[in-house]
Amino acid sequence: MKRLLVASILALFASAAAAENVKVGALYPLSGNAASAGAQTKAAIELAVEIINGQHPDVKGMPGTGLPGLNGGKIEVTFADHQGNPSTGQSQALRLIQQDKVTALIGAYQSSVTFASTAVAERYGIPFVVGDSVAANITGRGFKYVFRVTPVATDFAYNYLDFLKDVAATGQPVKNLAIVYENTDYGTSIADTLRKVIKERGFELTADIPYNANTTDVSSQVLQLKDKKPDAVIFVSYTADTILYMRTLKQLDYRPPVVIGDDSGFSDPAFIKNVGTISQGAVNRSAWDIGKPGSVTAKINELFKAKTGFDLDDTSGRNMQAMFVLADAINRAGSGKSDAIRDALKVTDLKPDQLMMGYKGVKFDDTGQNTLAATYLIQLQGDQYVAVWPARSATAKLQIPYKGW
Amino acid sequence: MRWLGIVIGAAFLLYPWLVTDDFYARTGADVLLAAIGASAWNILGGYAGQISVGHAMFFGIGAYLPLLAYSHMGLPPVAGVPLAIVISLGFAIVVGLPTFRLHGHYFSMATIAVAELVRIVIGNWDFVGAATGLMGPAVSRTWLDLSFRSPIPYYYLFLAVLAGLLLLTWHLQRSRMGYYWRAIRAGERPARSLGVRVARYKLYALLLSAAFTSLAGSLYSLMVGFIDPESGFGILRSVEMIIIAALGGAGTLFGPLLGAVLLIPLQTVTNSLFGGGGSGLTYIIYGGIIVVLARFEPGGLLDLWRRASQWWSRRRETVTVRHAA
Amino acid sequence: MTFIQVIAGGLLLGAVYALFSSGLTLIWGMMNVINFAHGEFVMIGMYLAFLIVTYLHGGPLAFGPAATAFLFLLGIIVYYSLIRHVIRGPMLAQILSTFGLALFLRYLAFFIFSANFKTLPEDLLPGVLNIGGILIGVPQLVAGIVAIVLTVGLHLLLTRTAVGSQLLAVAEDRQAAMLMGIRPDRMQAIAWGLSGAGAGIAGALIATFYYISPTVGESLVLTGFVVVALGGFGSVPGALVAGLVVGVIQSLSAYRFGPVNKDVVVYALFVLILWVRPEGLFGKAGA
Repeated sequence: MKRLLVASILALFASAAAAENVKVGALYPLSGNAASAGAQTKAAIELAVEIINGQHPDVKGMPGTGLPGLNGGKIEVTFADHQGNPSTGQSQALRLIQQDKVTALIGAYQSSVTFASTAVAERYGIPFVVGDSVAANITGRGFKYVFRVTPVATDFAYNYLDFLKDVAATGQPVKNLAIVYENTDYGTSIADTLRKVIKERGFELTADIPYNANTTDVSSQVLQLKDKKPDAVIFVSYTADTILYMRTLKQLDYRPPVVIGDDSGFSDPAFIKNVGTISQGAVNRSAWDIGKPGSVTAKINELFKAKTGFDLDDTSGRNMQAMFVLADAINRAGSGKSDAIRDALKVTDLKPDQLMMGYKGVKFDDTGQNTLAATYLIQLQGDQYVAVWPARSATAKLQIPYKGW
Repeated sequence: MRWLGIVIGAAFLLYPWLVTDDFYARTGADVLLAAIGASAWNILGGYAGQISVGHAMFFGIGAYLPLLAYSHMGLPPVAGVPLAIVISLGFAIVVGLPTFRLHGHYFSMATIAVAELVRIVIGNWDFVGAATGLMGPAVSRTWLDLSFRSPIPYYYLFLAVLAGLLLLTWHLQRSRMGYYWRAIRAGERPARSLGVRVARYKLYALLLSAAFTSLAGSLYSLMVGFIDPESGFGILRSVEMIIIAALGGAGTLFGPLLGAVLLIPLQTVTNSLFGGGGSGLTYIIYGGIIVVLARFEPGGLLDLWRRASQWWSRRRETVTVRHAA
Repeated sequence: MTFIQVIAGGLLLGAVYALFSSGLTLIWGMMNVINFAHGEFVMIGMYLAFLIVTYLHGGPLAFGPAATAFLFLLGIIVYYSLIRHVIRGPMLAQILSTFGLALFLRYLAFFIFSANFKTLPEDLLPGVLNIGGILIGVPQLVAGIVAIVLTVGLHLLLTRTAVGSQLLAVAEDRQAAMLMGIRPDRMQAIAWGLSGAGAGIAGALIATFYYISPTVGESLVLTGFVVVALGGFGSVPGALVAGLVVGVIQSLSAYRFGPVNKDVVVYALFVLILWVRPEGLFGKAGA
């Protein structure tokens, strides 16, 4: 009897020890120019953690939910604000690692901060899951602890041109393209690959217009477009500029036949809310689609909307997906040890039906890049985006040409 | 007074061993780096009274060259440091000569404009990484890469540079040059009538200031291992140097250091406490404190210290007098 | 045709720059203070417009005057609680205080309204005018015209009224003005009020066609500095002309040399003019 008691007490201790929580640090721009995206992402990650910790049992099928591998342990996430500053990103990463004892990191929106803070994570042997920074060389630096779930610029460029080829097949002439992009790493890295792929695929680039983000006026850009009359315009812009472009298109009464927005500004919930009515038919890249009522994605969106008042957008969605990928690895690792999590991340193999985003799966190559990342194209019809491309995931028919207002 | 200096000196020397983890050590290194930048700015802006709001251009040059040396030639970043200083000096002469004809706010505005020009050009120049910026060696190849896991080596490197800079400044402030600078600050016309060669001594101040600001930039990119146009040449970089120097006391030897010791931890602590909440509290507090300090201590905190110590010594005197009586 | 369209756009934008900058130049020239928080005053004007439209369903005729009055008061409060105490201190203390104020106000707005971008509804000032093929948005046109009228009005106020001449007297020589029975403190407070009011109405006007966010003031204030220095510190007509010039240069160079280079052209021109003519286009020599 006595022995039994001792054994059960020991078992209790053992399970208590095993039920340790795993601490994850999240680095995002919660102040500064990108704070609006940072705030949405924070809410999305909080929701992901609630789902992972089993607070929303009606959301099914996400990997790692309930964390059975942790024997009752939970994930605790601590947020830090890097203010869009690479140096602050490093020191906050250090704080999370050393003071909050996080054993994995997730972040960091701006590529510049991701560059700097992943270096800290690498030195301390803390796995860092990159949700949405797209600059090409974040992976491929020989780092062993960096994993990127999102597709990168090259993937998008091919997607756009495949899409345009399909559009041309419908009889809408698409030959001369224009790219309008903001002039920091985000815009230039996408524009660089676009330029290459446009040439490779035999399209013409009739206007190549870089501009400074947070500019006070965009009418000269729009006038240049109006002069060159491209068949399709691809905007690579943050929210502030996107709002200005849409308003200026209307003011100068110019409707490009096809308007493609590269995520970011077009995905910010503020876009639909503020200029949705005058941007009908804008096509946007997104790996996120709300999906049919009752689907897992629709439920996730409902929860997100209840929490923030906005529909979930692609940027936040990709970060949320990254959190699920991390949770899956933690669950399989069965512990909060950094190296165990890293080893588990390395052999991640998620299928499309285990994902909330429209990737073909999650599987990392040697550099840490997800080789199965992919994206949909969605179109603004009415007051929400619907998936229109590729055909197999489309939920609505593409409406061409651009209607605007 | 002397024992106080010794205690403070010892505190700086021992700091990394007094704190428990690398985050505090890193904050210490950040403090010293900010103090180097502000002290370098202080030579021109404080002592010689020429309020430059464009020192980011020197900081940026200093920050870029080491990473350029690394990414284009595979050299250890530190190899780019001397070249950065040379280029900064050249830049200082080219920009400084015409700009020094301007006074007061015009001078400040011209320096902002030049720095912004440089930032935009760098952001469009592929050779220097354009908008994406440049990276350093993430994992040290040899010790020469100065890429350490722990912030402590950086801390001592920065401390040594800061000590050298302060020693030099101390020496200069007591020399003829320091006297000329103060005369120029008080008023160029009277200074000229006293026979001070204003243009020449302003240029000397600019050269020294530019060289050390450039060095601060180099140290930054050695530690952070990444630089882009905004973090190198952004206007906030210039403003930060000014705020730190002014807060502690511009034109004083230890003012910039004091400003950095207060402001950087304030920034880091408020960000660590409130930043994760995402409500903007960090900057409400930070901005509020700057306003309050400027409102009540317009001469900088060192001024407060001076008044306090005067008050203390007067009080002691009266006490001694009373005792004597 | 496009060329004229570009110039028209530049002029309308420039008119708003002029209104924004005339308040900046007033206090800069009068008491030698750079107000780094001037962009935040504009931002507050924008949020006031947003609040009034959203919660009180008011139109431009409601939020325009409201923003003007509120910012006038705020200017006076800022003067009495802060500027008065740093004005005779070192120039650095002034930079420090207004910069801190800018951060404080910017993030106060952030705290209250969050970082999400907002816009005013399209139908407040609807429509686009087509003048011989030149398209001009009604909000931009209204903003441009009101801005020019107000800037000229401010100039007349300064040169043709008793308050104006007292203000200028204080700017010219504080001591002498005091001897003449003018209370410099009150005059300077009024100058801050006027400056704030200009920023407030500028914000309300811009809000009709621009986005609203806590950091919106940041991108305006640098342009404001250039306009003020170009026009000459303290010169309202200077600010008006310089504002229009900068607006047109920005538009033209963005169209001709690409948007990336528009600020390069503006800054380069600015530096060149300073080097050649250090007192600005309209400043007094020896300033």
